[in-house]
Amino acid sequence: MSTLCPPPSPAVAKTEIALNGDSPLLAATFAYWDNILGPRVRHIWAPKKQQLLLSDGEITFLANHTLNGEILRNAESGAIDVKFFVLSEKGVIIVSLIFDGNWNGDRSTYGLSIILPQSELSFYLPLHRVCVDRLTHIIRKGRIWMHKERQENVQKIVLEGTERMEDQGQSIIPMLTGEVIPVMELLSSMKSHSVPEEINISDTVLNDDDIGDSCHEGFLLNAISSHLQTCGCSVVVGSSADKVNKIVRTLCLFLTPSERKCSRLCRNESSFKYESGLFVQGLLKDSTGSFVLPFRQVMYAPYPTTHIDVDVNTVKQMPPCHEHIYNQRRYMRSELTAFWRATSEEDVAQDTIIYTDESFTPDLNVFQDVLHRDTLVKAFLDQVFHLKPGLSLRSTFLAQFLLVLHRKALTLIKYIEDDTQKGKKPFKSLRNLKIDLDLTAEGDLNIIMALAEKIKPGLHSFIFGRPFYTSVQERDVLMTF
Amino acid sequence: MISAPDVVAFTKEEEYEEEPYNEPPLPEEYSVPLFPFANQGANPWSKLSGAKFTRDFILISEFSEQVGPQPLLTIPDDTKVFGTFDLNYFSLRIMSVDYQASFVGHPSGCAYPKLNFVEDSKVVLGDSKEGAFAYVHHLTLYDLEARGFVRPFCMAYISTDEHKIMQQFQELSAEFSKASECLKKGNRKAFANELEKKLKDLDYTRTVLHTETEIQKKANDKWFYSSQAIEKANELASVEKSIIEHQDLLKQIRSYPHRKLKASDCYPAVEPDCSQDQSADQASTTSKPDEPAETNLYRRRPSYTPKLIKAKSAKCFDKKLKTLEELCDTEFFTQTLAQLNHIEHMFRGDLCYLLTSQIDRALLKQQRITNFLFEDLFILDDKVVEKQDDMPLEYSQDKLHARSLEDCPIPKVLINVGSFKSSVESVLIKMEQELGDEFKESEVTESSVYDHQENLDYLDMDMKGSVSSGESIEVLGTEKSTSVLSKSDSQASLTVPLSPQVVRSKAVSRRTISEDSIEVLSTCPSEALIPDDFKASYPSAINEEPYVEEPYADDDGAIHFSASVSQQDLGEIEGSSENTLSQTDSACCIGKESSGLLIPNSDQTQKHCDEDGVVSIPPQRYREKQQGFHVDFSVDDINSSSQENTTEGLSPYDQDPNCLRSSRDLSKISLNEYGDSTSYISSAASTSSDRTPSPAHHIGLSSERHKKKAGQNALKFIRQYPFAHPAIYSLLSGRTLIVLGEDEAIVKKLVTALSIFVPNYGKSAKPVKHWVSSPLHIMDFQKWKLIGLQR
Repeated sequence: MSTLCPPPSPAVAKTEIALNGDSPLLAATFAYWDNILGPRVRHIWAPKKQQLLLSDGEITFLANHTLNGEILRNAESGAIDVKFFVLSEKGVIIVSLIFDGNWNGDRSTYGLSIILPQSELSFYLPLHRVCVDRLTHIIRKGRIWMHKERQENVQKIVLEGTERMEDQGQSIIPMLTGEVIPVMELLSSMKSHSVPEEINISDTVLNDDDIGDSCHEGFLLNAISSHLQTCGCSVVVGSSADKVNKIVRTLCLFLTPSERKCSRLCRNESSFKYESGLFVQGLLKDSTGSFVLPFRQVMYAPYPTTHIDVDVNTVKQMPPCHEHIYNQRRYMRSELTAFWRATSEEDVAQDTIIYTDESFTPDLNVFQDVLHRDTLVKAFLDQVFHLKPGLSLRSTFLAQFLLVLHRKALTLIKYIEDDTQKGKKPFKSLRNLKIDLDLTAEGDLNIIMALAEKIKPGLHSFIFGRPFYTSVQERDVLMTF
Repeated sequence: MISAPDVVAFTKEEEYEEEPYNEPPLPEEYSVPLFPFANQGANPWSKLSGAKFTRDFILISEFSEQVGPQPLLTIPDDTKVFGTFDLNYFSLRIMSVDYQASFVGHPSGCAYPKLNFVEDSKVVLGDSKEGAFAYVHHLTLYDLEARGFVRPFCMAYISTDEHKIMQQFQELSAEFSKASECLKKGNRKAFANELEKKLKDLDYTRTVLHTETEIQKKANDKWFYSSQAIEKANELASVEKSIIEHQDLLKQIRSYPHRKLKASDCYPAVEPDCSQDQSADQASTTSKPDEPAETNLYRRRPSYTPKLIKAKSAKCFDKKLKTLEELCDTEFFTQTLAQLNHIEHMFRGDLCYLLTSQIDRALLKQQRITNFLFEDLFILDDKVVEKQDDMPLEYSQDKLHARSLEDCPIPKVLINVGSFKSSVESVLIKMEQELGDEFKESEVTESSVYDHQENLDYLDMDMKGSVSSGESIEVLGTEKSTSVLSKSDSQASLTVPLSPQVVRSKAVSRRTISEDSIEVLSTCPSEALIPDDFKASYPSAINEEPYVEEPYADDDGAIHFSASVSQQDLGEIEGSSENTLSQTDSACCIGKESSGLLIPNSDQTQKHCDEDGVVSIPPQRYREKQQGFHVDFSVDDINSSSQENTTEGLSPYDQDPNCLRSSRDLSKISLNEYGDSTSYISSAASTSSDRTPSPAHHIGLSSERHKKKAGQNALKFIRQYPFAHPAIYSLLSGRTLIVLGEDEAIVKKLVTALSIFVPNYGKSAKPVKHWVSSPLHIMDFQKWKLIGLQR
């Protein structure tokens, strides 16, 4: 360890968290690699439970294991690596995010982990990306704070000529706590309200005798079309939980079983918070008839989102993937930069840093009307309601429709792959692609591109990104004059 | 209402990106790249910049007690695969942690060494600098000579795509668990054998020592023991102790927890050495009768000759540790390697294809009632089939049949064999069949199938779909006119949910006989699917042809009907088939026919397949699938299913997987299998160019080279020939297409080009015949969807 401070106490701090529902999470841990003592656990977060499934000793043992072998760590600069353990002998699964950072003046390796029982493996896997994305970002912020604190310490030592004896790294813990608790709450809410893997079509709008029976035809068309255009990522808000959930289930019909398990139904009594990264989520409006979406979290979702209000039958959507990703990254960079410049701990509290920095001017109009019409969903809806409800005919027809969409998506990927020689050449012939693949309707192209994006991440940015960035940069340059 | 009050503070009109401050800018390592493909040349297909290998591979590593972590072998076993990737370093990384260590360690106070049956651990980790990500499956094998009797191993699936590993985690885990169980099962057997040998050695050594001690005792006339005698006595005691220890170990390995055995899915289903085991002597510590079945693995081999050993085996570093093969028994080791090769094959390639195929499977499972129209049902159940391959035959057949019945909620449809009509002018078609049972079964169909309203609905859908691709008559393209012999069902007759028999006869009666050489997509129910521009583009290519009826053609004729037909059926055939056959003009390039619905009995079929060079026997697996498919849709199985559901019995035809088509089965025809129309195009067609949409790529399993060639030729074909549209339409809608020509090379080229449009054209099913110079047999139309034929 550095001479700046003595090795931290072997005592492990623990935060117990009271949750509303059952938590599938056993514990979360923050561990680091001590140059003398090896892997050490710094902090444990555990849900408050009557019955302890894992003792602190066992948690510490497991957390230490997550850093074992990391002395050989060979990562790119700034990388946050994910390790995933299924330890059948212990009956647990562990997700660890390993990163390098400076803490107490020492460059070392750290691991933020969450531990779940092995029985939750199939529950957890669909949510893996959500959890990892959220923890990754908090680590990015925490790492900056650890670095800044070290600088401040060095300056203070130089100025005062004394060493600070108190524990320097503590301030990262509250920051991590600020994200670990929401992750626990998310998993808890998913445990009780996630959409089932199999959806009975009779619980959805597609079981209506005729189109328009339970919701307006145009609204349904817009909702499904936009839902597909935004990679199956939608927020359904309304005053009636039943109504919201019916639309949630309907939209989930167009997702894969794994994506359904990453979707959440609306709670009857009170609304859940918006959670970034879920595919479809139902949210209940408050007594004033509104639901406030947190801008930052909406921006941090991996895909653009469709906003569906079942009370007023409106459908709004965010810009397509490449634009969303670009905006997201700009926002992220801005947030991290602001964090880097923040001078006090108050400045960096969760969700407050962005208020203080006036350099941000994000476009608030992230949700726009659905501009592009499609023929695929329209034809599907026109036809599906001709089939007799109550039998499995509509499910079969839906499956056939989805199969065609997925195959079109794969064809599109293959087309681009061939045309660009696997990305070696720039893609120039979007017009030809539209004609050749019969995607001349802009909405159709958006739907197929969105499906393709999910199985081939980065496709949007590759196809549309460069001209988009160029135009944005030109605009920015022009605005400076 | 959408609102975002938490960002109101942002509304100041300033620059979005950070401004130049006096403070140092955010270091790049703490930031995120602005563009997803910030690196030069990065794109969705590019590997990580640091990746030193090009394709996924499997690595088996060991934590050797002598040299530490070391790579043992890779799959594929080719140094080109992993390139300059440092296997030693990666082995060190993945084997540096003992994830299987127990919380409490070995129980204290135990006199004898304890075997700890640890469960496998699975870890996903990566090395972002090397661009390598791995699923690592840790397992422990037992070795009597190893430290603590354990040898830690791991099997790692290494890829450059991190998402692939995580998204396929459960599949990888399941497949590697099978391989691991196979290794461990073999290891337990080998370990038990080793213990038994050791016990024999010890027993023999004890006997020798005991004898020597006795001799010494007798020889010793003094009243004290010599140092040599004491040494012998100690040695004897040591051997005694060692025997007890090894007996205990043997007992432990034999009492491997039964729950774990149940959970395991190891596949050498037939245990090796079972025959030997029957006569094998029991080991010195006999097994209990109620021990798990696995204990028969551990019976001693009879041929071992015990030898004198030292009581304490030397634990030193110069001893040679057993190889993995020695540890696991060769047969199990070979099986494991086969499984690992299977895994490598299963998961290789781009993730998007894996994901799409998985989504496809899931969606196809939901479409069982319509799958028979377009899809190869058996793609869905590959795993089931694979598993069945490993099962005892009877069980496998049982399951297959049961599955077929379960999987097929639709009413079965029988197509009357006798109603077949052919139409080809210069194409010789032999038809041999047994029609004896058909009539009876038709009756059965009518009486047993359509009981439920839902079934009627299904039938309605099924018939629409099947006929659209199957029974209409179509002749495409054309330089010369041809007389057509055809049978067609109009869509109108099929929308009514009647029994198949009724539908069929009705359809035949409504069929209009046209004068022209080509008929016509307009009579095809799938007309609605044909784009308008297509219909308009080739008016000259679509003509109707007159047809001439010819129920039987002799050797000089086009079609042969030779079958063992019952008198009653013969009469029926004569009655119905007078209008079925026609002979086309020999000068015609393009003819067409409705699909062959005549089914010879199995013997005849086999004979023809053997004798006729034109008809090659498709791969066995494909045949099995055909059989299974047939089971799904044949009328007889509806009938038998109701009986067999209660009796659990199977007919001899169903039980024999090698019986491709029994006469009984063959007389019952599945709708999609035999209900296709056949189209012919000539390779000598006009060469006017045409620009059509690029075809969707077919994802088959045939070689990349072949596919590329086919793709290029297909594009040429589309642009060169005016009838490209109808030809491809025919293939895609399930009709058989024949390419007529004189030049073998040209025909073959064309067939290759068109082969990518043949549905289900994969490794296991290749319904394409590139070149046939002898007369076609009617069976050919069941087997081949695309045929190159010498004019």
